[in-house]
Amino acid sequence: MAKKIGAHDGENRTHDSYFLKPGRYYLQGNQACIEGALMAGCRVYAGYPITPAVETMEYASQRFPQVGGRFIQMEDEIASACALIGSSWGGVKALTATSGPGFSLMQETISIAVMSETPMVIIDIQRAGPGQGYITASQQDVMQARWGHHGGGPIIALAPSSVQEMFDLTIEAFNLSEQWRTPVLVMVEETVGHMREPLVIPPRDAIEVIERKKPQDLGIPPQDYLPWGHGVVAPMANWGDGYNVNFVALVHLEDGNIARYSPQANYHCVERLQNKIEGNVDEISRIETKFLEGCKHLIICYGAVSRTAMEAVIEAHEGNGLELGYIRLVTLWPFPEEKMRKIVGNVDTIFVPEMNLGMMRHPITEALRDRCKKVVSIPSFGILHSPEYILSRIQEETS
Amino acid sequence: MNKLWIDERYCKGCLICIDVCPTKALAASQEINSKGYILPVEKDMKRCKSCGLCEVMCPDFAIAIEEVEG
Amino acid sequence: MLKYLKEEGPLGPRLPLIFCPGCGSGQVLNYTLHAVDKLIEEDEVRRENFLFISGIGCSGRITSHYLNFDSAWTIHGRALAVATGALLANPAFKIVVFTGDGDTGSIGGNHFIHACRRNIDVTILCLNNGLYGMTGGQHAPTTPLGAITTTTPYSNREEAFDLCKLAEIAGAPYVARWTTAHPQQVIKSIMKGLRKKGTALIEILSQCPVHEKMSPVTLLKGFRTKTIHVNKAKESTVGKTFIGEFCDLDKREWNESYQEIIDQFLRTNDKIDE
Repeated sequence: MAKKIGAHDGENRTHDSYFLKPGRYYLQGNQACIEGALMAGCRVYAGYPITPAVETMEYASQRFPQVGGRFIQMEDEIASACALIGSSWGGVKALTATSGPGFSLMQETISIAVMSETPMVIIDIQRAGPGQGYITASQQDVMQARWGHHGGGPIIALAPSSVQEMFDLTIEAFNLSEQWRTPVLVMVEETVGHMREPLVIPPRDAIEVIERKKPQDLGIPPQDYLPWGHGVVAPMANWGDGYNVNFVALVHLEDGNIARYSPQANYHCVERLQNKIEGNVDEISRIETKFLEGCKHLIICYGAVSRTAMEAVIEAHEGNGLELGYIRLVTLWPFPEEKMRKIVGNVDTIFVPEMNLGMMRHPITEALRDRCKKVVSIPSFGILHSPEYILSRIQEETS
Repeated sequence: MNKLWIDERYCKGCLICIDVCPTKALAASQEINSKGYILPVEKDMKRCKSCGLCEVMCPDFAIAIEEVEG
Repeated sequence: MLKYLKEEGPLGPRLPLIFCPGCGSGQVLNYTLHAVDKLIEEDEVRRENFLFISGIGCSGRITSHYLNFDSAWTIHGRALAVATGALLANPAFKIVVFTGDGDTGSIGGNHFIHACRRNIDVTILCLNNGLYGMTGGQHAPTTPLGAITTTTPYSNREEAFDLCKLAEIAGAPYVARWTTAHPQQVIKSIMKGLRKKGTALIEILSQCPVHEKMSPVTLLKGFRTKTIHVNKAKESTVGKTFIGEFCDLDKREWNESYQEIIDQFLRTNDKIDE
């Protein structure tokens, strides 16, 4: 059935004609992210099968060649992530999707991508862990997203909560990766990956697509090109552009020289990378809020859990008089600490429902500890929190 | 008679060129240079046939033979 | 060949090459540039299409920041995975992969096998010195039985891989083994590998004077005397390593074949299969 999507028997077939026409579709989350990627200009997918990300790969294998892109199933996740580096430096946006165990394997490559400032997008359809865990949903990789890659470089991570957001946020992920020359992670729960919902696809020319800045566009000739210079985000010359660029992930100076090591150069290199992302949190990170005015307690959530948390908050306002405010983290990393501190007043308790034992509660506590009496985790495993469960836990805590 | 050019910035004194020369036109210097290397010097360049083996087999791009008439 | 190197950078000279005196890596770079130069001079490959990718180890340093071409110094064993990605983005790249025996045969073994099986358009130059040089001389999957290394102080009890046989079985259409003491053969093989559309493996036995604790001249002499051409198999081969071209086939390259999948969607007359 999936092959029918995009395929047609009409006249005048071009690769462009295989894009989904604007309209309403009924797709799985794992399929919606592929449609988003294609709209964002991604033309290479390299992946390895892992439950629950398999549908993403299978759908990609059908859709990518239709629009003139290429799909390959690599021999493992490490190879997949490395192929993304090769493709991105070859000038073509690339994507892979995996789950926890594969995500762990990719960490070295993600670290390499952070240091070499390689734009690429990795989708982690999170399953229960640790270890082989199980194939049900979780949010157990959200800390690994920030700190899993060695060396402690910054990263951008988004958390979609619906099939529509699988489409929209994958486009945003590509745009952020090109704009800031960084790998971007899309942290999804298996729930969102596997659910089917109506998806609205807008006309292609209504979608903003950001491309990486290149030195030739900025009028910088090869002899004057500093691979890590010319601004906060260095313009990126790709292989084949005539700039004789060398990809390297060692500590480097602005001209790409890796031989002149010094502690100052080391610090300067790492600090520049950190500031590029963490110094632009306000521009990069997004949150959504509701019912914040005068709320007594606050729920901060992300991903699939935000759907049921929103239900709980609405129920509370209509029913039992609990004054609950709601903040959803659309961007997990860089963590929007300042943004939240600007809008959160003093509350009684902050509740953080997560499908883990409490991970995002830590940066939340760090950011808002002085605005509340306590921060309480509401964990759930293997099954999405129901609105009733969230409300009952809140009532327990507050009575 | 051909002329030997050694780039002292790059030569590391591995002496492979002296060994592979089919006519034994090169020899090792009697001196050690400031980097601690023993460089190749001309032994008898009348024997040099411009075969190019020393240039091809140098690991450091440090040797060149200039072909000179006569 | 110096025109193909970046001798100077904005902050000073980049040469001399970092390799130890007499290291085979510098020689392999020299041979590669000779082969590349011939192909550029004869207009067979455009200079902009060359892409040099290396792994980690002494062989990995060949790309370092020396080459006046597009290049990549990737992670240990994964050069072929990065090369696969680059070809997906642009099948016109002419890729040379510099890798070592540990980089190819150990951590990169999986990627090596699959690159050969898929028959992607790369020319793999595997510099085989029989050990892990950069980290101090540990044994590798290509260390001969009985050798003493820093991690086999009581003599190596493992058999060595024959990387060429591995590549052949995995499906690479061009497989050859030479040594750094055979410059013309190496150059010819590299040219053949670059001309062939598909995976070419050229294993080059390369000397490590520091860890073998012998002079480079002695090691090169050893390469000449302890190897025997595969065509001379009738002679005694005890204690000798085969060198020569092991296979030279014509096979469909991966991206060429995938292009057919992409192109089918442009045909107006066919019905799409379910």
